[in-house]
Amino acid sequence: MPRDFLDPYSRGNSICHRLPDRLKILLVLAMIITALFVPPENWPVHGCMAAAVFLAMTLAGIPLRYLLVRLMFFFPMIMGLAIAVPASTGFTKGWDVMATVLLRGTLSFMGVLWLVNVTPFDRLLVALRQLGLPQMLAAILAFMYRYIFVVFDELERMREGRRARTFSKQGLLAAWKSNAQLIGMLLIRSMNRAERVHGAMCARGFDGEIRTLDS
Amino acid sequence: MHIADGIISPEVCAGMAVASAGAVGFSLRQLKKTETTKTIPLTGMMGALVFAGQMVNFPLVVAPVSGHLLGGVLASIILGPWAGCLVVTLVLVVQWALFADGGMVALGVNVFNMGVIGALGGYAVYAGLRRWMPSPRGTITSAIIAAWLSVLAASTMFCLEFALSGHHDYSLPNLFALMTTFHSLIGLGEALITGFVLSVVLDQRPDLVYGQPSLDNMQTETPRRSWQATPLRTAVVGLMVALAVAGFLAPFASGYSDGLEAVAEKMGFDAHVDADPQVLVLDEYQVPLGSEDSWFMSKLSVSIAGIGGTLAVFAIALLLGRGLKPGAEAGHAT
Repeated sequence: MPRDFLDPYSRGNSICHRLPDRLKILLVLAMIITALFVPPENWPVHGCMAAAVFLAMTLAGIPLRYLLVRLMFFFPMIMGLAIAVPASTGFTKGWDVMATVLLRGTLSFMGVLWLVNVTPFDRLLVALRQLGLPQMLAAILAFMYRYIFVVFDELERMREGRRARTFSKQGLLAAWKSNAQLIGMLLIRSMNRAERVHGAMCARGFDGEIRTLDS
Repeated sequence: MHIADGIISPEVCAGMAVASAGAVGFSLRQLKKTETTKTIPLTGMMGALVFAGQMVNFPLVVAPVSGHLLGGVLASIILGPWAGCLVVTLVLVVQWALFADGGMVALGVNVFNMGVIGALGGYAVYAGLRRWMPSPRGTITSAIIAAWLSVLAASTMFCLEFALSGHHDYSLPNLFALMTTFHSLIGLGEALITGFVLSVVLDQRPDLVYGQPSLDNMQTETPRRSWQATPLRTAVVGLMVALAVAGFLAPFASGYSDGLEAVAEKMGFDAHVDADPQVLVLDEYQVPLGSEDSWFMSKLSVSIAGIGGTLAVFAIALLLGRGLKPGAEAGHAT
């Protein structure tokens, strides 16, 4: 499995990638809070911010196609939520709330999308740690990130095995059962692996305290 | 399920972030108390598993739509409530950090809805029900009910937060009904998946389930007083039941409340015609200079009401739980 299939553009070398990570986090945070507080009537402000985000995306070398695909996944979700507001009044009012939610939501989403695509996860973790994330949480997060790839590989192996053994199309209930079985077995295998890893860590002197080279 | 930024007002987000940070910090402390070095690898692996498990699509009757596992209750059942809460929190963080799923400011809200209400509350329901039904079948039943309730409670919680955000032009009871109906269906999927997965685990490695008698030395490290009703658990059960009841009554109450709300709106509109009725936005143009105070006060009161209301509910629930503490029946407040 390719190492960066989750965040394909975060390991670039553009000016955005080279900015200090903590600065980027605080910048995006400030932008979102501004977006949340500026009323929708002042839409030029939002427009300027959107232009800035778009510029930043271009500077970071994030292709437009990726952006559109992500927006395509994001938009139905926030749309479903936003449409519930006018729907709750029988489509008589609530349109302005919906517009506000859409405007702010999309803008904030773009901001965070930029952040996560110019900051690799490990560096984001270090930055969050410097911003006060508890050490144990950071350690578990680091483990989790590492294992996502391992567990994905395991899942893919099991799915391949299933595909090799399943010739006919499954019914709905059968599909649910076999999928649940897949997750159940994956869970058991993952826990077994975690125990093996834990054993190996203990064998190397792990005492519950995470030590890194720069701490 | 992930709430993006821009939906919940920053004040409510801040309040929820404080509540979530408290709950996550408390979970961390509880985990550190167990004095095992296993927490870090086990929790990390479970987080990765939930993350990967969400990629397995469960087909629905409507062809292109499919559901997937959310995993909060499942993680709690396997690793216990505290680690379960952490797992959900971290899955949310990773989804935010990799895909920008769920907002940055709204992260606290998401953690509260799914990690605290979903995983901790769901576990409380599960543990309470399991006291009645200790058999494997009963365990699965408890898990199914808990998983369903956890989704419902999270959506109910969202409606509350949305209401506290000061959006005005909508009907809260109707939104409530809409969300509850929608999420009771989603919850059905989550409940079924959790039940199926748990039955596989109980079949193959029953010792993996938190609080089960151990087959190997896994659980000798952490002696567990399983299924005892701690005040917190009792409190969370109470809160869950209250939320679920509210969620169920909302559709029936909507007709009545609609009338009530219409009247209130009318009167409110008449009374505050020159104050800014839209506390949602920072509108410098509509607020006359004189009413700057009233704008600030209304904004402040909304946020204080939000934080205070949540805390008050918790405080009441905790007090109730403490009062019920020694009784054996305390685990299932019905």
